[in-house]
Amino acid sequence: MNFLNLGLGELLGLVGAISAGVVALYLLDRSKRNQIVATLRFWTAADVRTELKHRRRIQQPWSLLLQLISLALLLTAIAGPQLGIFDATGSDHVIVLDTSAWMGSRSGQGILMDQAKTNARAYLRSIPRRDRVMLVRADALATPATAFESSRGVLDSAIQQSQAGASALNLSQALEFAERAQKLQSQRAGEIVFIGAGRVTEEEAALSALPANLRVISTNSTLENVGLRKIGLRRSPSAPDTWEVFVAVRNYGVRPQSVDLGLQFSKSPAGSRRLTLQPGAEEQATFSYVAKSGGFLEARLNVRDAFPQDDRAVVELPAEASSRVVVYSDEPQLLRPLFLANPQVDAVFESPAKFDPAVKADVVVLDHFAPPTAPRTATIYIQPPASGSPIPVRSTKTGVRLDTWHPETTLGAGLRTRDVTLESAEMFSPGAGDIVVAETTEGPVIVAHGSEPKQVLIGFHPGRGSMKYELATPLLIANILRWMVPGAFRRWEFQAGTVGTVNVPVEASSKPGDIKVLDEANRGLPFTVDDKDLRFFSGAPGTVRVQMGDREMVYSLTLPDVGEAVWRVPATVHKGVPRAVLGDAAPRDLWPWLALLGGLGLLADWLLYGRSRAFRLRAAGAIAPQWKRMTQWRKAS
Amino acid sequence: MPEPLLDNRILERLERLTIQWQNSLPGLVGGHNTSRFAGGGQEFLDHRQFHHGDDLRAVNWRAFLRLDRLFLKMFQLEPRIPVRILVDVSKSMETGASSKFDYARKLAAALCYVGLVRLDSICLQPFSGKLHDAFIASGGRHRFQPAMNFLGALQPSGQTNFLECSRQFCSKYPQRGLALVISDFLDDRDCEKPIQYLADFGHELILMQVWADEDREPPWEGELELEDAETGQKVELAFDRDARAQYTAAFDAHAAHIRNVAERNTGRYVGMPTSAPIEQAIFGPLVKSGAVA
Repeated sequence: MNFLNLGLGELLGLVGAISAGVVALYLLDRSKRNQIVATLRFWTAADVRTELKHRRRIQQPWSLLLQLISLALLLTAIAGPQLGIFDATGSDHVIVLDTSAWMGSRSGQGILMDQAKTNARAYLRSIPRRDRVMLVRADALATPATAFESSRGVLDSAIQQSQAGASALNLSQALEFAERAQKLQSQRAGEIVFIGAGRVTEEEAALSALPANLRVISTNSTLENVGLRKIGLRRSPSAPDTWEVFVAVRNYGVRPQSVDLGLQFSKSPAGSRRLTLQPGAEEQATFSYVAKSGGFLEARLNVRDAFPQDDRAVVELPAEASSRVVVYSDEPQLLRPLFLANPQVDAVFESPAKFDPAVKADVVVLDHFAPPTAPRTATIYIQPPASGSPIPVRSTKTGVRLDTWHPETTLGAGLRTRDVTLESAEMFSPGAGDIVVAETTEGPVIVAHGSEPKQVLIGFHPGRGSMKYELATPLLIANILRWMVPGAFRRWEFQAGTVGTVNVPVEASSKPGDIKVLDEANRGLPFTVDDKDLRFFSGAPGTVRVQMGDREMVYSLTLPDVGEAVWRVPATVHKGVPRAVLGDAAPRDLWPWLALLGGLGLLADWLLYGRSRAFRLRAAGAIAPQWKRMTQWRKAS
Repeated sequence: MPEPLLDNRILERLERLTIQWQNSLPGLVGGHNTSRFAGGGQEFLDHRQFHHGDDLRAVNWRAFLRLDRLFLKMFQLEPRIPVRILVDVSKSMETGASSKFDYARKLAAALCYVGLVRLDSICLQPFSGKLHDAFIASGGRHRFQPAMNFLGALQPSGQTNFLECSRQFCSKYPQRGLALVISDFLDDRDCEKPIQYLADFGHELILMQVWADEDREPPWEGELELEDAETGQKVELAFDRDARAQYTAAFDAHAAHIRNVAERNTGRYVGMPTSAPIEQAIFGPLVKSGAVA
């Protein structure tokens, strides 16, 4: 019995206190009431028992006794007594239930997980009832589902609720966890029981450093499976409207397989390939697909195997983004090569007479022209008139030498020239906060204004003179456009892969502080960056975005992670469900019977002695003879 | 300021009613109920031989000229009958969850108003062990406010003694009239004899028995210590469902007995539980009994 850890004396005291309360309430309920009435003539006319001066205090002793016994039974039921010998020397076992992705593969009428659950229940039945069991669900992480528990109902419920996950089994970690749990929490260590298919990585296939008390109950699974491992997409560097698609397929089985790989973009066929895969081999197929619009790209393997979850993957692709540039110039032929060289720029050339301050464009270029109303978007001024220049023009010189670039700025990154003399150039007087990109001996000739809307002023014409032939000229324009419209020049990469640990190569120029790893809800995920790799872990299917400067990688981690190999269980390990222990004299719970008896006692008291009229009428019929005798006794007395 | 016994809405409804009696009673001219007694009325009733001392104004002179004999014309009397309302103010009237005493005062006020509106002579006579000071008013609704004040000042006291009160009533009011008795009729002595005494004296009786629900069907069960509100006598007893049925039967038998006494003497009986609203009691059982119409 375990009633709030009370001893027998304390329990009896509690029962006594409650009984005293019941007796007090009983006496209070049956105590006489004082009433003032208009007359006593009808009371005496009615045939009622009068003159109770010597009446007994307890009128219905059987009712009181019945109530006290019923309450004692209910209190004892709460204490949870058990019938039988309580043996506290049971063992503590740990069941490691494989909940990796492979456990969702088909097996007969159900899936492997159903087999594993059946085996787990069979193991529970085979061990003595006094033994305690901890259930641990194992996939990429080992998660305890229960503490060391003796209630078979709780364990059975936890087993029932276990489902196959999306990650691969990390067997060594799961066994290590079970060993540590037994060491720290168990009173007498029993067995560590691994139940599952044991599909692991190739490194763990020959795992031999095992606990001495390990038992393995394997589920029968077919070994043949072909699945998608990874899908990678990126825009072609040479043709921005073309997607380069890389699909990796693996044969997990032991026989060669030929499969058809199909690609669909927005439900339209985008390519297909027949792959022949050797056992354990991984093949990669490459596709190119031209698509400016966004949509869903689906890769599908036309194969019927035991594990269909990795035969299909879908990646959502964004539409191609380009920036619109409107150039107002009287000499568009000089500027056209500079802006049309970049395929992500959609340049339109207009004469200055058609200038519209509300023009819809990402960037506006004003060549020798400064309108009275400045554009509301980012603007590049080329040799603006001194009267309309947003940054004051200090002087205009001819034959000045361009001798200094500022590569430490974003706009001047990677730019340099040698012996360049400008035919005509305007020198500016930059204010505080303005960025000087290039200088001549006479003063700054390229200045940027960083606040919105962004402005860059070039004091010379980049399409004229010696600058026309310099490599720095198109790079300067590219730097300016990237600075003004960073989103249009972002490089996108998409990958569909398996859940678990993901490694991302990091460019040498990327700083860890500029890297962001975000989940679907835009919350940051923890990650590590070592020498050349960024590493993060995703335990559940979903989309993760990695941002590094102008590069963004989208990981659609929807493919289940399947171990490449099957664990080869050493011969020394115990296998299968042990034989059930006979004569398991587990104590039986008595509380349901005690509670039932207590409830019946209170119900009987209510029916026989309660004040409810309806029930009293029925009860009166049942005890009519006895009532008649009592009435006669009352009259006689 | 105490709450008035009757509100204006009830008073407006009461104006349509009239106190009715059945017997022919002598009285002063000016009432509204016809009498079998001949007298100075307006309606011709009969002829009789003229005797010395008769009023010569009532002689039928046309008959004398034709027959040469004196005949006297008799006219139907419409007497003014005194209406006396006896209100029980004994201690037993204040028992019960809803006070019978208040109920009786409201009932008396309503009947008083009906009578005053019809220009009847009204006498409010409280009683318990003896007759207390009475309030007498004749005709006119302007007399109602003093009547309300009188009723409002009454306090329950004393022990009921119907016999003594009957004797005092007959000696105090020798003129026969309508006697309306509002009481719970819970005198420990038998109240048949005093009621019969009043009827034999010539009063027309309207008995209005007022009871609280607890008086007829006590809600208590178990062991009770009961105290008589009037005598203070105590009794301890065990009370259950069967005893309650017997109690109610005894009460109903007592009420039936009072009804028999009233009806035997051409009177009327009305039973009124205090759980029924006063307006409903007046326009229901009281009108149905013919006491008012």
